[in-house]
Amino acid sequence: MTLESARESPWFSRATLFVVAAAVLTALGLGGTAVGDLFSPLLGLRAPDAPVSFWAGFGRDLLVGLVLGVAFVANLEFIRLLLFRHQVLVVWAELLALFYGFVLTFDRDFGVIFEVGRSGVSNLYFLITTGAFTTLYVSLIAIVIACVLALAGALGKLSSNGAAYAVATFYISFFRGTPLLLQVVLIYTGLAQLGFVMEAVPAGITALSLCYGAYMAEIFRAGIQGVPGGQREAAKALGVPEGLIFRKVVFPQAMRLIVPPTGNQFIAMLKDSSLVSVVGVWELTRTAQILGKRDFQVFEFLIAAAVIYWVMSVVFEILQSRLEAYYGKGQRR
Amino acid sequence: MKSIGKFATASLLASLLAVPAAYAGETLDRVMSTKTLTMSSDPEYPPQSFLNDNNQMDGFDVDVGKEIAKRMGVELKIVTPSWDIITAGNWGGRWDMSVGSMTPTAKRAEVLDFPAVYYYTPAAFAVHKDSAVDSLDDLNGKTIGSCGGCTYDAYLMKDLEIDAEGAPAFSYDVTAGEIKTYETDTHAFDDLKLGDGTRLDAAFSALPTIQEAIKNGYPLKVVGKPAFYEPLSVATDKGDPEFDAKIAEIVAAMKADGTLKQLSEKWYGVDLTSLQ
Repeated sequence: MTLESARESPWFSRATLFVVAAAVLTALGLGGTAVGDLFSPLLGLRAPDAPVSFWAGFGRDLLVGLVLGVAFVANLEFIRLLLFRHQVLVVWAELLALFYGFVLTFDRDFGVIFEVGRSGVSNLYFLITTGAFTTLYVSLIAIVIACVLALAGALGKLSSNGAAYAVATFYISFFRGTPLLLQVVLIYTGLAQLGFVMEAVPAGITALSLCYGAYMAEIFRAGIQGVPGGQREAAKALGVPEGLIFRKVVFPQAMRLIVPPTGNQFIAMLKDSSLVSVVGVWELTRTAQILGKRDFQVFEFLIAAAVIYWVMSVVFEILQSRLEAYYGKGQRR
Repeated sequence: MKSIGKFATASLLASLLAVPAAYAGETLDRVMSTKTLTMSSDPEYPPQSFLNDNNQMDGFDVDVGKEIAKRMGVELKIVTPSWDIITAGNWGGRWDMSVGSMTPTAKRAEVLDFPAVYYYTPAAFAVHKDSAVDSLDDLNGKTIGSCGGCTYDAYLMKDLEIDAEGAPAFSYDVTAGEIKTYETDTHAFDDLKLGDGTRLDAAFSALPTIQEAIKNGYPLKVVGKPAFYEPLSVATDKGDPEFDAKIAEIVAAMKADGTLKQLSEKWYGVDLTSLQ
């Protein structure tokens, strides 16, 4: 067997992968972990806390590295045998389990998240009903307003009217160019100084809408420009009234290009809405901090908040892919 | 002509920007007519103010606020804007007072009114319990954490000015090697918790806050005597002397009849409402 043909053999790539994985895992020095403890008796290391000689320690690291390397390669081989859908599910489950294990290593008391206080509701319930609910409705209202602003901004930027173009570019430039946190403070405290007093939630929604509207105006503009000019000409040739061309021909096709980045923006907004807490809105991050600060367990609650954000994002990722399928139906054959 | 135009523009701008936040009696009228006293409070500052296990705001500051409202014969409502927003002034009538353990410094008094000092907090240094530091002298040159823009930060920068009546004199006994500031003091405790010298050598905060952290299992210890005592006052928006007078009168009465002392003992275990 020549070297060339050896390289083409699947066993060669598997062996290479195993060597690399085992080397990396050994270098990580995982001998002191729970897996390492399994091998301690083999190497004559009895008490887990006893000092370990260099060679015994290295031997244990190497053993763990080899075993985990085998497990890693075997796992990949197993996954290769599955259907695509099952591959996705298995890898997701494995990564989640790893993440869970990673969080457990923090050695924190996560039970506190489910603890029930005098109010008769668990901390998690309060976190969801007060925090996640506020985050969700603030973001939902803001994204709707932002879409309207974005459409207006995009049309302004595509307009041949100089004033409309100037207003749109000024708006986009200012709200993209300044930090959202400052916009929240400017709207809440700055406008109040001029006698225009807004409560915390409306001020927060206004800031989020204006800021995201500016970002999304560019997305909308790109989407509208992405529809080939021939579509408009064809509609004209068919005698479609001028006013209907944008609504019935250009816009639905632009939506196909607009939806994915807008879903992206919404997911980003879910998390950026935590900036609104500076004016006293109890959204998810703030509520987690408040609950955590009570007993100095902020970290536990921030992890809980992170998981809730993640779950919400996953739901909206699914909604986004449905919406994409709807607007993409013209492209399917 | 030109100068008149300039003057007109300037005065127009000035009149736009200098709208007084409240006219005399406006705040008091609003409180009495709506039967609601709205107070701003930090929900992340136990034991002064926090969300208790009944999911309601509780703590020393909250109890003082409740008592003030009770004596006005109105309901207390609590809002939770951040420290930056409260200290920016121009509340626009969205809340009437802050009972937030705020120290009345000269610069702050330009933005807010401080009608009544209601207690004094000792400021103290905390180190990790494994630390070798055991006197204020040992802290010189160390990395010390505190809240940013607060009096502890100002003390470390040797730029603290407390102009409240009866504020006790103090000296700068510690020169920090490096000052690290946080959004709130308790974040400094989290960094100190990581280990002696990992991120911080010491944290500088209110003694009651440090004790509360220790009670909650933070591996900290207090070093030396309190560096200074800061008077803490109720704050109000500028421009309503009648409301300020009412607050001052109520707090004085609470001090005189022992209510404040009782609340202090309830939350801090000691009387911090008068100087020893």
